[in-house]
Amino acid sequence: MADNSSIFSKAYDWLDERTGIKEITHELLDEPIRGGARWAYVLGSALLFIFSIQVVTGIFLTMYYVPSADHAHASVAYIQKVVPGGWLLRGLHHYGSSAMVIMVVAHLAQTFLFGAYKGKREILWIAGVGMMLIVFAFGFTGYLLAWDQAAYFGTKVGTSIAGEAPVIGPIQQRIMQGGTDLTTITLSRFFMTHVFLLPLGLAGLAALHLFLFRKATPAGPYHEKDNHKTERFYPGQVFKDSVAMAIVFGILVLLSWKLPAELGPMADPSSDYLARPPWYFMPLFQLLKYFPGQLAIIPAFVLPGLLFGALFLLPFLDKRAERNPFKRPIATGLLVLVIGGAIGLMALAKYEDNHNPDFKAKLEAQEKENEEFFKKPFEPQIIGGTGAAATGALAKVAEPPAAYLENCASCHGDHGEGAAVFPALIGLSAKPQRTQDDLYKILVDAAPYGLKAPMPASFPDIKDEDKKKIAEWLASLKK
Amino acid sequence: MEQHENLEPPQRRSFLGVLSGLIAGGIGAVLTATIGRFALEPALTAAANDDKWTDIGALTDLEEGKLVKKNIIVAQDAGWGRFESQRSVWVVRKGESVQLFTAVCPHLGCSVSAQAEKFVCACHGSYWDANGKRTAGPSPRDLDALEHRVEGGKVQVRYQNFRQGIEKKEVMA
Repeated sequence: MADNSSIFSKAYDWLDERTGIKEITHELLDEPIRGGARWAYVLGSALLFIFSIQVVTGIFLTMYYVPSADHAHASVAYIQKVVPGGWLLRGLHHYGSSAMVIMVVAHLAQTFLFGAYKGKREILWIAGVGMMLIVFAFGFTGYLLAWDQAAYFGTKVGTSIAGEAPVIGPIQQRIMQGGTDLTTITLSRFFMTHVFLLPLGLAGLAALHLFLFRKATPAGPYHEKDNHKTERFYPGQVFKDSVAMAIVFGILVLLSWKLPAELGPMADPSSDYLARPPWYFMPLFQLLKYFPGQLAIIPAFVLPGLLFGALFLLPFLDKRAERNPFKRPIATGLLVLVIGGAIGLMALAKYEDNHNPDFKAKLEAQEKENEEFFKKPFEPQIIGGTGAAATGALAKVAEPPAAYLENCASCHGDHGEGAAVFPALIGLSAKPQRTQDDLYKILVDAAPYGLKAPMPASFPDIKDEDKKKIAEWLASLKK
Repeated sequence: MEQHENLEPPQRRSFLGVLSGLIAGGIGAVLTATIGRFALEPALTAAANDDKWTDIGALTDLEEGKLVKKNIIVAQDAGWGRFESQRSVWVVRKGESVQLFTAVCPHLGCSVSAQAEKFVCACHGSYWDANGKRTAGPSPRDLDALEHRVEGGKVQVRYQNFRQGIEKKEVMA
């Protein structure tokens, strides 16, 4: 290949001497795969790919999103209806969250079924189960952020369930909500958890998972007959993984296009909205119907606790070397039972909603409201100024005296509202040593009151009667 | 490396590599184009908010030659919201017309006030006469006059923001 020492290979050599890129590429691409490349192995890569999509789309969605109960909904509607490409980025993120759940369950189910967690892979498996929990936490915290009816009431139910936990329930609910109710503070902490804590946690565990995976090496097929051959990761498995990613991406784009991510009217806590969780919490939702009152802790905590407890401990509970799913009837049976049960509960929830005339009519009416809101052209939110918020506060204030406007307003604002570093004067007379008489005395000589520069120590240019007028007006500025 | 390695023929190896690269490139291109429009288009196409005439009161209410501060409401379209914020202008009646200045100091953007018959910016000590001519201090230019008209006895202004710290008056766009 000497005649091929083009400028590119020279540049590659140059880069390699400084970064060791050839060694890194070799490490990444030439990993041996026991039994050869398989379509069955694409799930983990697809999961990592979807997570990358979530990170990229999520980062850019925050360019317009505002995590405040007052503006969150308007900002999401703006992204969805106005910003070019906004429908696609939000759609990818919305459907990506469902894809994460599907893929993490599929990846775990396959690892379980093929016994691929066996043989010194305990920590690798535990990191994986931890990531599954994080994926559900992503779904729960992300659902609130759009602050529409479904988001508000769905999260209301979610935090109430948390509040029913034995002993720690009430405290847990307070910590989740940031107080006694679901407010803008709740939205802030869900946002912070969703965009900072959980991604850091997931990225950290994913790195650990991949590192341990490479250390343990792929488990290979569960039957011995293919185990004699080995293939490198590149190009066979890389190609299969790429095709899987293309299919996932294509489905996400198609869904975002044909069935745009939903957004209903802004949350109205006074309405009688019928809350329904995202589909992946439907099994829990359905189970809650069978356990009245205090017994709700059974589906909400006992069953999920047992399920995840068993999953975390699985490599220690099942130490047999046998990997063939047909020779592990209990394990295979349990998997079919749990996944079949979850799907059954989802179907049952859907069936009951469709066959209870009261719910059906209400849910259809809500669906219609959502569609109508979605079709309405975007209207910007009106903020401040002549809007009710600002005139409401300013209208109560008497007109300031001319001497105030000439001498004080350039720093303290025309209505005593203050600006930047200059303090607001509204409500000043409620503070100690700031009666109307005190305010007049400050204008005569500020020094005894210990006011700091740049507030001048005296105002020789202001006439005494004007000082009295200013003090009187300042005293009238009530909060 | 295991002994029984099944090495792909080189042609198939590079063919699969190229296909994988095409897929990755395609997904990357869709994402890059979408994000590019998402991030840049609203910034580049947003209209300036200075095409609106705002009433500041009747001409006859103004006293000849007196420096009067008026507050106006300026509408700002910014993404998901229409914000309305108060701005101050200085207006001086000259017979049947007016002189009209923004109250933003051309030096560094502090608020300009009036003392007796002159304009002052207390931040860094700039002074202008009653016609907005610079007389002292660090301001690089005269006060910025605003476009205005008298329609049906009402004084109207088109509020604009100007760049600070330079000698030439230049609209912020």
